[in-house]
Amino acid sequence: MDVIIWALLIATALLILSPIVFMFTASLMPARDIVKMPYRWIPEELYLDNYAQAIRGNDGSYIYPRNILNSFIVAGLVSVTTVLLSALTGYGLAKFPFKGRNLVFLLIMATMMIPFEAIMIPLYLVATSLNIQNTYIGLILPFLTNAFGIFLMRQYLITFPDEILDAARIDGSGELSIFWRIILPNSAPAVATLAILTFRSQWDNLLWPLLISQSEEMKTIPLYIVKFAMEKHTNEGAMMAAASIASIPILILFITLSKYFVSGASLYSSRKG
Amino acid sequence: MNRRSFFVMFLCLVIPISLLVGKTIELQFWTHEDPNRTVIENRYIEEFQKMYPDVVIKRVTQSSTKIQELVLTAFAANQGPDIFNMSIEDEYAYIVNQRVASVNYEAAGYENKEALINAYLPGTLDPVVFEGEIYGLPLEITNWCILLNKKVFKDAGLDPEKDYPKTWEEMVEVSEKLTIREGQIITRRGFDFRYPYYLVAFIPMVEQLGGKLISDDGKTAIVNDEAWLKFLDFMAAWGPNGLNLGSPTYKNARSLFNMDNNDIGMCTTGLYQLARIKADNPAFYDSREWMVVPFPQFENAVNYVPAHYYGHYYMVNVQKPKENQEMAWKFIAFMLSHPEEYLDKVAIIQPTNELLESDTFKNYPYSDVFISDLEKSTVVYFSEYSAKIQSLVKEAVESVMLSNASSRDALNALRRKVQEVLDDQY
Amino acid sequence: MRRILKKGIEHKKARWGWFFVLPSMAFFAVFSFYPIVNALYTSLFRKRLLSLRPPTFIGLENYEYLLKSPDFWNSIKATFIFTLGTFIPILVFSLLLAAFIMSRKRFQKFFQMAFYSPAVLSSVVAAAIWLLILDPRGLANMGANFLLGTKGVDYKWLASANMVRFSTILVYFWKYIGYFTIIYITGLASIPQSLHEAAKIDGANGWKDFWHITIPLLKPTTVLVSIMSMLQCLKTFSTQYLFTQSGAPLEPINVITLNIYNTAIRDHNIGRASAMSIILFIIMLFFTWLQFKASRSGGEVDYM
Repeated sequence: MDVIIWALLIATALLILSPIVFMFTASLMPARDIVKMPYRWIPEELYLDNYAQAIRGNDGSYIYPRNILNSFIVAGLVSVTTVLLSALTGYGLAKFPFKGRNLVFLLIMATMMIPFEAIMIPLYLVATSLNIQNTYIGLILPFLTNAFGIFLMRQYLITFPDEILDAARIDGSGELSIFWRIILPNSAPAVATLAILTFRSQWDNLLWPLLISQSEEMKTIPLYIVKFAMEKHTNEGAMMAAASIASIPILILFITLSKYFVSGASLYSSRKG
Repeated sequence: MNRRSFFVMFLCLVIPISLLVGKTIELQFWTHEDPNRTVIENRYIEEFQKMYPDVVIKRVTQSSTKIQELVLTAFAANQGPDIFNMSIEDEYAYIVNQRVASVNYEAAGYENKEALINAYLPGTLDPVVFEGEIYGLPLEITNWCILLNKKVFKDAGLDPEKDYPKTWEEMVEVSEKLTIREGQIITRRGFDFRYPYYLVAFIPMVEQLGGKLISDDGKTAIVNDEAWLKFLDFMAAWGPNGLNLGSPTYKNARSLFNMDNNDIGMCTTGLYQLARIKADNPAFYDSREWMVVPFPQFENAVNYVPAHYYGHYYMVNVQKPKENQEMAWKFIAFMLSHPEEYLDKVAIIQPTNELLESDTFKNYPYSDVFISDLEKSTVVYFSEYSAKIQSLVKEAVESVMLSNASSRDALNALRRKVQEVLDDQY
Repeated sequence: MRRILKKGIEHKKARWGWFFVLPSMAFFAVFSFYPIVNALYTSLFRKRLLSLRPPTFIGLENYEYLLKSPDFWNSIKATFIFTLGTFIPILVFSLLLAAFIMSRKRFQKFFQMAFYSPAVLSSVVAAAIWLLILDPRGLANMGANFLLGTKGVDYKWLASANMVRFSTILVYFWKYIGYFTIIYITGLASIPQSLHEAAKIDGANGWKDFWHITIPLLKPTTVLVSIMSMLQCLKTFSTQYLFTQSGAPLEPINVITLNIYNTAIRDHNIGRASAMSIILFIIMLFFTWLQFKASRSGGEVDYM
């Protein structure tokens, strides 16, 4: 029985990892070798042309590095604002009883159910009326905070010991200073987890940048990949190279900080309420 | 002096200075990607900006599938670009909804409307005429023929000059000889269709059999069921559930062709592809191991119908200030004053009479094949809803090819949906 | 005196509560509530995206049309097939995998990371990879032919209606199985070891222990996984969008979100697209409420 479970786990792990391995190996092969049957997992030689083409772009404008930078900037800024606003809101919901608190919480949770396609056009009209299309602000504004982050912080802060807070108040600290100097620094696990999960989620955002970025310089990675995939000169190898480049930063983040990704999933579970 | 007179003096100084300094006019120019065209148009931008120092032109390229969405959302927010171009089926809605300006003949360098019309091959401006006014200038008029790889033919023991398919039935026969499979999986296709472009490349097949997408009075969907059924049966037989000669789910033929990788024998494409072969694979281009033949006809075709032609027209946003519009037309005319360079470097045809009579054109490889088909072809169906109708035809063909639907059911569904669109109940 | 003091403190706390909560409420008002109300408003009109003319008020006509439209019902069918076909396997397999991992003494972290890694990639990257794998000449056919002992059979991953549905489910499953496995691992870890030991003393072990103790105690986790994965599936968009853009047939995988997008962007019919969005929103609210109800009715789960 034991052996069977090991076998199943290992087989599943291999199956799940194989597409990622495929992406990396295919990026190092010329296109015609990728579609040759059967697939040769190990490339015959290190074919770096694909990476050169992905970075250079089909029109030679080397715009991909700029798009990668944009993704970092947008994902980074959204992580910061989300952590701050979610902590603020979560704290208010967790530690300050007020009339209508439950209603507020429910309303916030309800926003999770709004499909983005439903609001993308009205959002776009809001953005253009503020004249922020094709700007970093435009990319970031609709994502300043989200219900998931607020939920996460609230869950975490509910269990924050009240005695510490009351002691600080008796000592004469103001509420804001309590938040800034006691709550935030002592919520490192939740903050770190939220920051990383938000970063990953923004890194992946396709629909909004598609509408709001209108020039090449303001596009983010998913837009570049979609554009690159549709262009007539792109072959499978170059596609996989572009995909690999897009995945390396996030995979590095994942491997080094895996405990926050892993516990992020788990912070969401167990006791509710 | 007192406050008031100081203020007045201030105004008197500021206003004339600002007039002197002049406003820069910035033009947003959105177009689809084409590396060869980008090179020459960037040069035209430089030259134009030198001629008109207070004009700045920002050129942005999008992939040809994304540009419709982007132009659409921009216009929906009243933030459309000054100059843009798309295929006419996608552009027509902008004309009908009065979002683009009619041609400013003077700015574009024409004496009047007649002079403009006479400069172009008759009929090629018709698609942008609306209520008597002209709303765009042609960047390219394209029609498609069959481009074939001679080496693939020879490899299968055929002589490309003699054995190329002249009818669709022959296309099936030739493709069977050229196709290589491993089990059911095709590793080399003889030919495959140009799948998403149903209005341009598939409707002519129906029309060859005597059918029509829409009746002449524009009110009824689907004319001549028999022709349509024959066409749908043909496509079903072509696909994975029939003779397995090709499918929309393989990589599209024209993207594979240039690489000369022995995985495709023929594809449907336009003159511009020849410039792409030259850029992508100069060895293949120079070897001349390729040729162009006319669009096949069904054996018992009732009409001779080559692939429809379509056009890209440069259009100007009517919601921009008058100066912007005027400069936009000036710039467009400036770009379009180089038709021979567009032909030579980008291999697109701007249907000016001057170009078609020039030696550059006559010496271009296989231009005679393309022109011969172009003269016999008509413009692709376009209307405010042509994008929707094209996707309905796509659904119908895919359902018989991929989902095993019967031709009769697919046709009924298609008729119902297209009729809805026509009745504007949609 | 003390009561007045207490009231004062409560009042102060309430004010601060509002203060902390206000920024995000303002944000949601502008970026969530206003747009959805706007969408609701637009759904009552006949409005075309490019037209400069004012839209015409048609009341509930868009909704009437949708509820009678075979195309919309096809989208509902496609969405449900996808949702049920994805979240039920995820529910079952993530629990099993979590149990397997927990029963191992070593390599727990490695397995968790391996299973989780697809979730880290962006959906566009995932779609690009899978489009190559599902190509007739790609790994999927190779693997299937090998496992099923057939030769050269094309399983038509992106060509036949049922297979393309299966392919979208497969991609989603691949992406999220690790995420939910980890949630279950946390749930499993929170069951006190003492309970398992007590059960052993009573003679129940292995399978019995799992069935009668572990699974009932995992109820809150199961509900959580169930709701989250279901909502995630109802919101699916990029996989179906990228597949259809690359030549896959539309009808079998024309999920509601894709239909909304096409109706707005391809057909310019923003009134009807808004109506579809509102319907989707209601569906999501309904099923979340349903799941909550179902979880409550079982009674509260208590460790003692």
